[in-house]
Amino acid sequence: MLEVKDLKVRYGNIEALHGISFTVNKGEIVTLIGSNGAGKTTTLLSLSRLPKPEAPTVVSGDIIYNGESLLKTPPHEIVSKKKIALVPEGRHIFGNLTVNENLEIATYALEKGVDVKAGYDQVYSLFPRLYERRKQRSESLSGGEQQMLAVGRALMCGADFIMLDEPSMGLAPVLVQDMFKAMKVMNESGMTILLIEQNARIALQFAHRGYVINTGEIVATGTGAELMEDPEVKKAYLGG
Amino acid sequence: MLTTLLQNVINALQWGSFYSMIALGYCLVYGVLRLINFAHGDIFMVAAYIGFVFVGFLLKFMPGSGMYGWLVLAITLPVTMILTSMLGVFIERVAYRPLREKGAHRLYVVITALMVGLVLENGNLAIFGASSRKFPEIIDKVVFTFAGVRITNLKVLVIVTAIVIFIFLQTVVNRSKIGMAMRAISYDKFGIPLMGIPVNRVVVFTFIVGSSLAAIAGVLFGMSYPVLDPYMGMIIGWKAFIAAVVGGIGDIKGAFLGGFMLGFIEILIVSFFSSNLKDLIAFTILLIILVIKPTGFFGVAKSTKI
Ligand SMILES: Nc1ncnc2c1ncn2[C@@H]1O[C@H](COP(=O)(O)OP(=O)(O)OP(=O)(O)O)[C@@H](O)[C@H]1O
Ligand SMILES: [Mg+2]
Repeated sequence: MLEVKDLKVRYGNIEALHGISFTVNKGEIVTLIGSNGAGKTTTLLSLSRLPKPEAPTVVSGDIIYNGESLLKTPPHEIVSKKKIALVPEGRHIFGNLTVNENLEIATYALEKGVDVKAGYDQVYSLFPRLYERRKQRSESLSGGEQQMLAVGRALMCGADFIMLDEPSMGLAPVLVQDMFKAMKVMNESGMTILLIEQNARIALQFAHRGYVINTGEIVATGTGAELMEDPEVKKAYLGG
Repeated sequence: MLTTLLQNVINALQWGSFYSMIALGYCLVYGVLRLINFAHGDIFMVAAYIGFVFVGFLLKFMPGSGMYGWLVLAITLPVTMILTSMLGVFIERVAYRPLREKGAHRLYVVITALMVGLVLENGNLAIFGASSRKFPEIIDKVVFTFAGVRITNLKVLVIVTAIVIFIFLQTVVNRSKIGMAMRAISYDKFGIPLMGIPVNRVVVFTFIVGSSLAAIAGVLFGMSYPVLDPYMGMIIGWKAFIAAVVGGIGDIKGAFLGGFMLGFIEILIVSFFSSNLKDLIAFTILLIILVIKPTGFFGVAKSTKI
């Protein structure tokens, strides 16, 4: 489904990814783990084709999605045409809109005739807390609820491929569990997921496969279980 | 005494309407792009000239009085709005968008906006020369008198138009899809493409609306104060901008009420002091308001913008 080939990107003159390659197959949960500054967010921003100045520039390599390169696709079409959604680091929900409006705005680029109601039903059944707060201004939500909303928005976009940037960040442990269970449910109903995490333990536990990224390079790969047993990975990311 | 007061209220409402219509243009663009479009006053000026030229053209074919006068106005307004919008969108495209895409610092954007204004003023000077132009009279003046208070049909038109525009904008921003996108972008620009919405589409729409408002204001202003000159947009533009800031820039209600507030302050000063002191005192008052409440009267720090 997604094939990243020897991707090099830079911010200004600083190269942030030194040629990374990985693949995500349809129906998989693939995780990219790595420590601070490893280049995880950079990878997702590159895939989303977000424009400068926020996002990095691709120097070389390619991003192939369903057989076509994404390098020339504008960012809004990544979502509206390619059906790839990003739940970004920092969530970026629209705090001045209500919860429901945040979900509604995600449907604006959908083709006519798409069943929007089914989307709301799916999001609200996955995250009942959001339903309780649907008329509330979204900036008044707790961090965990905002994260749910960010995921919900991605679902409303009609995506069949979702990329999540550290969804566990700043969440209490129970909420982290809930979030990952929700992801599992989404995956079981056909969603392909690329998941970025610093919390390697839980990410590897839920993912089918994983890659370890370190200072802009992929340094290890394997199934979730394999990586969990890898001595290097254990030492560096799982606390021994 | 009461008559004089009411007369002043009407004048204040009329000037307030002009300030409001222009202030709303500053407000929309600021809300969406965090850009103070300093060229906006000059866009208003160009709109007045477009209206002037187009009315002159129409008057070759039909008389500028009676029902025909209203017909001239009814054709001139949309045409001026379209042409002015094209100018606004063109400016966005060639001057602001490249800077935005390069991630240029705000300072450069502000300077660019000021320069765009200068280009418009001097371009106008090059085309029409330094002497001022007279906007033709197209609407037969009707004066209504209530209890000694005089109000012309044109003043009624100006005030009603400003109010209708305000209601229209509120509706668009709060109820339409593109309006919701405008509110959303004012809070988080990064999130917009992630929703599959092209940022530039929202930006262009904003410039179309802002420029159209300047066009309406320009034509009505030309009809009310028929002497046009290339610098007419400068002072009124600055005033409208300051009114928008004092009202709470980025908030539609704030910009609208800010415009009227300035109208009232000015008229009050003129009726109690000399009109030479008008701008001095008015700006001093606005300055004091801003010092006391930097977010503006109705602006709530960062949250309700647009
Ligand atoms: N806008 C930017 N301009 C310049 N350099 C940047 C920019 N954003 C990130 N970098 C650099 O690129 C490298 C990778 O950063 P990135 O944000 O991808 O890390 P990350 O793996 O997501 O880390 P974290 O877990 O802290 O989110 C870092 O060295 C960072 O300093
Ligand atoms: Mg990151």
